[in-house]
Amino acid sequence: MGLFNPAFWTFVAAIAGIYAIMALGLYVQFSLAGLPNFGHVAFMAVAAYTMAILVVRYATPLLLAATAGIAASVCLAFIMGLPALRLRSDYLAIATVAGSEIIRYLALNLPDFTGGPIGSIGLLGPGDIATYNHDWQAFLDKAKGVIEPLFGRIASRDLAMAVVVWAAAFALIFIGWVLERSPWGRVLKAIREDETAAMAVGKNIVAFKMQALVLGAILGGLAGLLLAWEIGVFNPDDYQPTLTFYAYLILILGGMNRIWAIPLGSVLFSLLYTGTRFLNFYPLSLFDSGSRAFLRLFLVGLLLVAFMAFRPEGLLGNRHQLLLEK
Amino acid sequence: MLLEVHDLQKSFGGVTAVAGATFSVAEGSITALIGPNGAGKTTVFNLASGFLRADRGAVTFAGERIERWRGDAIARAGLVRAFQAPRVLARMTVIENMMLAGKNQPGERLGAAWFTPRRVARREAAIRKRALELIEVIRLSSLVGALAGTLSGGQRKLLELGRALMVEPRMILLDEPMAGVAPILAEQLLEHIQELRAKRGITVLVIEHDMDVVMSISDQIIVMDEGCVIAEGRPEEIQRSERVIEAYLGRLALAGASA
Repeated sequence: MGLFNPAFWTFVAAIAGIYAIMALGLYVQFSLAGLPNFGHVAFMAVAAYTMAILVVRYATPLLLAATAGIAASVCLAFIMGLPALRLRSDYLAIATVAGSEIIRYLALNLPDFTGGPIGSIGLLGPGDIATYNHDWQAFLDKAKGVIEPLFGRIASRDLAMAVVVWAAAFALIFIGWVLERSPWGRVLKAIREDETAAMAVGKNIVAFKMQALVLGAILGGLAGLLLAWEIGVFNPDDYQPTLTFYAYLILILGGMNRIWAIPLGSVLFSLLYTGTRFLNFYPLSLFDSGSRAFLRLFLVGLLLVAFMAFRPEGLLGNRHQLLLEK
Repeated sequence: MLLEVHDLQKSFGGVTAVAGATFSVAEGSITALIGPNGAGKTTVFNLASGFLRADRGAVTFAGERIERWRGDAIARAGLVRAFQAPRVLARMTVIENMMLAGKNQPGERLGAAWFTPRRVARREAAIRKRALELIEVIRLSSLVGALAGTLSGGQRKLLELGRALMVEPRMILLDEPMAGVAPILAEQLLEHIQELRAKRGITVLVIEHDMDVVMSISDQIIVMDEGCVIAEGRPEEIQRSERVIEAYLGRLALAGASA
């Protein structure tokens, strides 16, 4: 795939938009409410699996299956949150990281239910190839028809996807921005700063934290659905814990507490992540392509460390505010 | 009696912090809770305000048993506390700190911002007005938009006091309000504490080590030692109580011997 292939960059744009929605879910939980969710990927996995299983096995209409997928993410949020939100925040970190790995291992080890290691393609059992996104492709074809007059020849399903996803991302960020500035957002920020103080002025902190966790789960579930539709097939390996850390990286790149920095963060992250595949010139060409793929992960990690060390407030954040003592 | 504590007990592991404390606070009074370090005063505060759960005993506030209530419910019922080390929200502004504490905010319901924006805006304006009035009372008007994390220790105590008033309390628990405050601000704080009752009719229960302050502002003094209430009475009675003198001097003598 060449550096100047528009089809490639259209795909990257669609993925970046999905990542923006994923990161927005984490923003509500972590940046706003201070909930350390290290298993955000679980909400994506549960929504995608629920949707795919319903569509493939039970011929459920896509919209219904998608709604069920998001409902499943919400259930997961309650299962993790009900015990853990009453405890210190460290326990939520443990519960979420463990929960996300449990989900992934369940998906790996229940082949009759989830397709096992081969993933969604094996949902109908051996010998049958299962697909779940016919209806979504049909929807994208319609959307492509709508955007064709605007984009002409380069209009494609991927471009339609990118447009749909980014429109959704901006709409959701706008909703989040209004909520952040409402009294509801003020309570969440107070809980992030000092939940004891929030309780002392009469706020039911467990209820507010649960709302943030559930809202983030809905957004994570939505991102999971969109990602599943965009990549066409998925397997448990697509829901490694690293995906959660990509969401953190997106928030850190843009600026931890800046909701409008999320699009910037996700575009930058996607450029870095996909762009590093073009680092195939001397001296990097001394490595074979497999090693270069690891180089990419190495660079992403290095960047994360560099940002934390030199610009912890992110590109658009406010350092002064970050450094205030509690 | 506005607040009644009966046979309250709390242990942490093997250490008994409060060992069957019983006392009551009259409505409209300024009552001081004193005692040597480790007497269990702050634990009593934590138990009464719902930040800790008692092992045994009862707490009655305005006729209701509250010892099993959550801290936020107790605060909403009108029993509001401040902390020994003020807990301001560092990365929020002074006005945000105040407005957070406003009562009955429809905008705190998720979705209200979207579905009933006018109702939210009306209440928000009323809360802002009240917050600005109280900020003027605590003389932080010049810092309305400042992040609370930039305030000095004394200013933080004032802000926490103002924030507690936003909850519209019937009774307020103050844990060492004078500790670590510059003399000028301390004087101002003292005035505020007296005004809480005089102007707002708020009952005050205060933990304080400065005996001059205690003797000058309180109507009633409760003395604790080793988790128990050892004396209760008016300042002049407490000053004469042998048991109280022994509790304090006994500790001092021991401290002197070990030094």
